[in-house]
Amino acid sequence: MATQEKGRKFIVPIGPQHPALKEPGHFEFTVDGEIVTDATVRLGYVHRGIEKATESRSWVQNLYLLERICGICSHIHALAYCLGVEKLAGVTVPPRAQAVRVLVAELERIHSHLLWVGVAAHEAGFDTLFMYSWRDRETVMDLLEALTGNRVNYSANLLGGVKIDVTDEQSDAIWRGLDFLEDRTRHYLDITTSDSVFLRRTRGIGVTTPEQAKRLGLVGPTARASGIWHDLRVDAPYAGYADYPITMIVSDTGDLETRFVVRIKELFESYRVIRHILDTLPDGELVTRVPRRIKAGETISRVEAPRGELFYFIRSNGTDSPERIKVRTPTMCNMASVLALAVGHQLADMPMILVGVDPCFSCNDRTVVVDQGGARGGWTWEQLRQYGIDYYRRQP
Amino acid sequence: MNAESTLTIAAKLIEAWTVETRTPEANRLDVMVDGAHLLEAIRVLVDEGWGYLAAITGLDTSVDSGVMEVLYHFCEGAAVLTLRVSVPRDGASVSSICGIIPAASFYERELREMFGVRVEGMQGPKHLMLPDDWPEGLYPLRKDADLTMKEAEANGDSREG
Amino acid sequence: MIGGAGMANNLEDRWQQALEQVKTWARANSPWAIHFNSGSCNGCDIEILATLTPLYDVERLGIKLQGSPRHADVLLCTGPVTRQARDRLRRVYEQMPEPKFVIAVGSCAISGGAFQGCYNVIGHIDEVIPVDVYVPGCPPRPEAIIDGVAKLLQVLQGTEVTKPL
Repeated sequence: MATQEKGRKFIVPIGPQHPALKEPGHFEFTVDGEIVTDATVRLGYVHRGIEKATESRSWVQNLYLLERICGICSHIHALAYCLGVEKLAGVTVPPRAQAVRVLVAELERIHSHLLWVGVAAHEAGFDTLFMYSWRDRETVMDLLEALTGNRVNYSANLLGGVKIDVTDEQSDAIWRGLDFLEDRTRHYLDITTSDSVFLRRTRGIGVTTPEQAKRLGLVGPTARASGIWHDLRVDAPYAGYADYPITMIVSDTGDLETRFVVRIKELFESYRVIRHILDTLPDGELVTRVPRRIKAGETISRVEAPRGELFYFIRSNGTDSPERIKVRTPTMCNMASVLALAVGHQLADMPMILVGVDPCFSCNDRTVVVDQGGARGGWTWEQLRQYGIDYYRRQP
Repeated sequence: MNAESTLTIAAKLIEAWTVETRTPEANRLDVMVDGAHLLEAIRVLVDEGWGYLAAITGLDTSVDSGVMEVLYHFCEGAAVLTLRVSVPRDGASVSSICGIIPAASFYERELREMFGVRVEGMQGPKHLMLPDDWPEGLYPLRKDADLTMKEAEANGDSREG
Repeated sequence: MIGGAGMANNLEDRWQQALEQVKTWARANSPWAIHFNSGSCNGCDIEILATLTPLYDVERLGIKLQGSPRHADVLLCTGPVTRQARDRLRRVYEQMPEPKFVIAVGSCAISGGAFQGCYNVIGHIDEVIPVDVYVPGCPPRPEAIIDGVAKLLQVLQGTEVTKPL
């Protein structure tokens, strides 16, 4: 049947331009009726060449650049880089700085997970939840701004420490903010597990078994929702996580609902850890000196970003700029699962499945190109432009 | 189980294909492997359920040496095992590991695009990250890549405004 | 027929003028925007999205984020322009009906920002399409983005809204 239909199959391209969400990525879903039979992805619309650029910038300049790999999880990129470079340089970062790093990382996780709850709810058509969760997210944005001076791209890290301190006032503000958020988060947990309309979009959709998750190489909350016991904050505690342990949230149902539940429960864990840090913040220096030239060597730095394991490979040749920095972001791992999961699902579930892994981009705009006997009915840019001009000329 | 003993197990598993080992830092083990035996070594790790593939790194350190390296990073808890395969700069190629680890497909496509390492038996279209009109034979992460592309060339028709 | 051609023309002119006024009024009271990311780090994008949400809520000012370029008056651009996104950006711009306006949001959109010199970055937005308003910041606060839109609306209300392609 597949071969018979081949000449007349429908391919539904999604992206790269889309209305409300973040990054562009281009997906093509081949559909038979409403059911997706094949999926491909084209990345790179935001490929800028950062890995190459790091080779011509100094160690300090790279901190600024790498923080801007992603505006949502900027702190964790900078943190992974700093931890790696500090390891290479052989310096020990003061405990207070490590605690502040964890504090900011967990605040960032809160902002990122709330953002995701909103975006995912929006994809399901539950805009009320989107608006509420983003309203509440402003609480944590305010806290981050009060703490670091910026709402996004906080620049809290330095090579060898942090550049921000936590005052008593800020500490109080964070306490108050967390109390409010904890209350709201309970509400979200309640809604996402009890709203019957919403559950029809999430329960039993996009089920990933633990075996599949392992085979597809899933990471982060997406993997933990499929029963994979894997969280670098626990497996290989970095920065201050050895002093401020977290509990791993794992569930093995593997559908979209579970992904909501796991991420929301992780929020409670973040609230708890932040309170723990504020209670027992060690005294001392915030930064230690790191030489301008970093000793030759190679290191691997792994941290748990909000979306999963973030992997940095850093190699120095003893000069003042790195020889190679390799960044493997969690979305790279999780994207493959979207393509695998898409097959057999309804086209209408695609945005939810896409968003289910919390990709660093989501697409939701669609146009249909009908395949007519082989050649795609695509237009070149020139044709399209000319058509547009002619069309508007014809208008009275 | 701590990272040390995990790595010892891994080292035993792939002992047959090991050319040389190094411990660059705590919780890590680098194993040089001959490209011809890469698949066998990875097959054993996967069959025994040791860790997961975290990343594939291409590494081009100098033009003069005439070789590049491909690094396969496997992680289990805090332990990181890196299989290092040396490939010549001219006619670089490695076997695709997608048959064993399907999740490696993006990493391999990236490796091919960025370093021009041919991946034998890999599926998938030519470009993942780079634009379709990217110059043939230009691999941006190689040290000798000339990336000062002329704007006119790169822009094609586009400046009419 | 009383009055003749002169009078009719005059009437028609006045009718046209009134129509234009209504159009400008409508446009300035409810501009529809579309957002395109041509290589941004997401920082500006989440801030644009934040302007839609209850704390900032631009919809109360009549500004609506729209899905299709064919329905949009204002293009909100973020990020430097990558080689691959360039034609997409131009396509989105070309698809918008006249009159159309472009707001470049963030340092990268204005100058390439941190990504200047990266091999896959062509440059900034106004090297590819004409830009009307620049909103600096890395990323700009939602207030700044709203201010950018408000500035555009002021210009819109005060001037004739035609612009060469």
